[in-house]
Amino acid sequence: MSGAEPHANSTSTGPLRRLGDEIAALLREDPRRVVVGEDVADGGLLGLTRACRDDEALAARLLGAPLTPAATVLHAAGLAMAGRRPLVILPSATALLEGLAGLRELARLSGSAGGERSGAVVIIAPTGPGFGLGGDGAASPEELLTALPGLRVVSLGDVRESVALLRAVADFDAGEQPTLLLLPRSLMVAEVKQGSFAGSLGRSLGEARFARHGQQATVYAWGATVELALAAAEASGLDVSVIDIGGLSPLDVDTLTAAACTGKLVIAHPGERSPIAAEVAALLADRAILHLDAPIRRVGGAAGPLAYTEEGRALPSVDALVAAIREVVNY
Amino acid sequence: MNMEQSPWDPEDVEIDLDHEGGLSADAEVLLPALEPRALYKRLVAARLLDHRLSRLGLPMWAPSAGEESVSVAVAMLLGQGEWVYPGNRDLAIAPILGMDLDELARQVLGLADAHGPALYNGRAGAVAATDLGVAHVPESLGSHLAMAAGQAQAYKLDHHERASVALFGEGVTTSGLFHETVAMAVSGDLPLVMICKTQLWPEGAPAEAGLLGDSVGERMRACGLWTRRVDGADFFGVYRALQQGFARAREGRGPAFVEVVVTPLYNPDVPAHRDPVERLRRYLDRAGHWTPAVEEALEQELLGQLDRAFDYARGQAS
Repeated sequence: MSGAEPHANSTSTGPLRRLGDEIAALLREDPRRVVVGEDVADGGLLGLTRACRDDEALAARLLGAPLTPAATVLHAAGLAMAGRRPLVILPSATALLEGLAGLRELARLSGSAGGERSGAVVIIAPTGPGFGLGGDGAASPEELLTALPGLRVVSLGDVRESVALLRAVADFDAGEQPTLLLLPRSLMVAEVKQGSFAGSLGRSLGEARFARHGQQATVYAWGATVELALAAAEASGLDVSVIDIGGLSPLDVDTLTAAACTGKLVIAHPGERSPIAAEVAALLADRAILHLDAPIRRVGGAAGPLAYTEEGRALPSVDALVAAIREVVNY
Repeated sequence: MNMEQSPWDPEDVEIDLDHEGGLSADAEVLLPALEPRALYKRLVAARLLDHRLSRLGLPMWAPSAGEESVSVAVAMLLGQGEWVYPGNRDLAIAPILGMDLDELARQVLGLADAHGPALYNGRAGAVAATDLGVAHVPESLGSHLAMAAGQAQAYKLDHHERASVALFGEGVTTSGLFHETVAMAVSGDLPLVMICKTQLWPEGAPAEAGLLGDSVGERMRACGLWTRRVDGADFFGVYRALQQGFARAREGRGPAFVEVVVTPLYNPDVPAHRDPVERLRRYLDRAGHWTPAVEEALEQELLGQLDRAFDYARGQAS
């Protein structure tokens, strides 16, 4: 596992600091909540449990775990089955590939033994490039993790929603189910203006969101690619919608389908190949066939592993996205 | 006392019930709280359940004849609010704890009926009971150990004087999740009782046995765990070691690891004293509490109950 703490002690408007305050608030509100993970008793690799650590009443609920990728997740499963509400904080979403056996079993709980025991576990993990780590620290393992039945996967697409999204996830707004909250690293190092964090999502957990409204084409994106899609829409000079897919599993089929009314569709995704983008493309080809006026274009980044100096290539470039938008619009 | 060692008898273990059914002074103390005739009935019931299920043709079925002491002792020691995370050879725990045999048959057979849909309990033939504290049996190796550790963590956080229990075979002890769970239990000083069933291999162990050294208990002691190694054919030895393990965990003295040496009974060369049921029968016989007629009546009663339950479950299936 790898991890780093960007901009330690950065300004109070850094999202990690705000998320840390929110985790402390979540623990204060519900005594069932505990935090599980490497180093969490000491503030955590991302600093997300510093506020908890500094509060004597909460520190006992920070459960430091050794380097046990599969057992950490299952430990949380056992805690949840015993009535606790664990938040697992991982240094990297790729740690879940090391602990896949545990994650798979956690995701299966609702389908096991009549589903009588809860798997109400939240896993919080940074994903994609942004900390300058390269390798696993630039990879986007959600492509594999969304294939697990029973696991809800949501991705943050707008840093201003980070606190509200964490709360919606931790409150199990969409039902008690193991939930993976992906925090794109590139958003975690962003500076956010005072007062611009949203208090609530204003929509259901997992619902897709229009980040930009337009009539000529629609770009679907999630996580770190949302900002790139917005930049490409702007740079294209065309009237383009950008949809933040948000809920990666399950997908918000209705909103994704409704947004296909432009008939010119582009999907932005991390990495070279994307099962999520393929699923969305197949879904739209099925549900929105009568709207389609061009082939659905998928635009990705480079296949990993990438050297830390080149980790940005994991995401699609704005230029490639602009080219794809123009291509479908002029098809 | 004539104690002829066979290659299936573990060395260097304390014996409470010897080959001929003689009881140690330490075990005598446990009587009459452990009523030997009731105990014998449980061991026989566990054996007959295994025989009955072996005839069902369940996929990947693992027979457990010879391992009854563990299931019976765990069921007797499990306290109110405590959870057991069984392996795939511990089916007898749930009915001994009081699971209705009709429900057991319904779950084992994987049937849907008016009581509900066909349940997925992990391994085919596994049963689970939330009300009794019996967890399902995950298919992925060692997963249940880590979940049991999480359960133990919850007890510790709540300051409950409870223990969480996980059962498994030595084969699992080469898996990553086993080692991860040991690390978790030791580092968190968790009230977790790990019970590992091992066997001796007079003709050499296959690679699948997971043997690393002479005793997994020895290995675990090196990891900082309190360990005991006992003979699975000796119910009282198993019971006393588990009792100590449970007591330690409940008192907040940390995790326990009990290695139980069992002997699969399908090998015709295995001597009769390796059978925990036979060994307790010898004790009862010496005490004048056993006759062939008593045995016959007991088996008829238990088999009748099982047959009725399985027939009923099949009749109710939708």
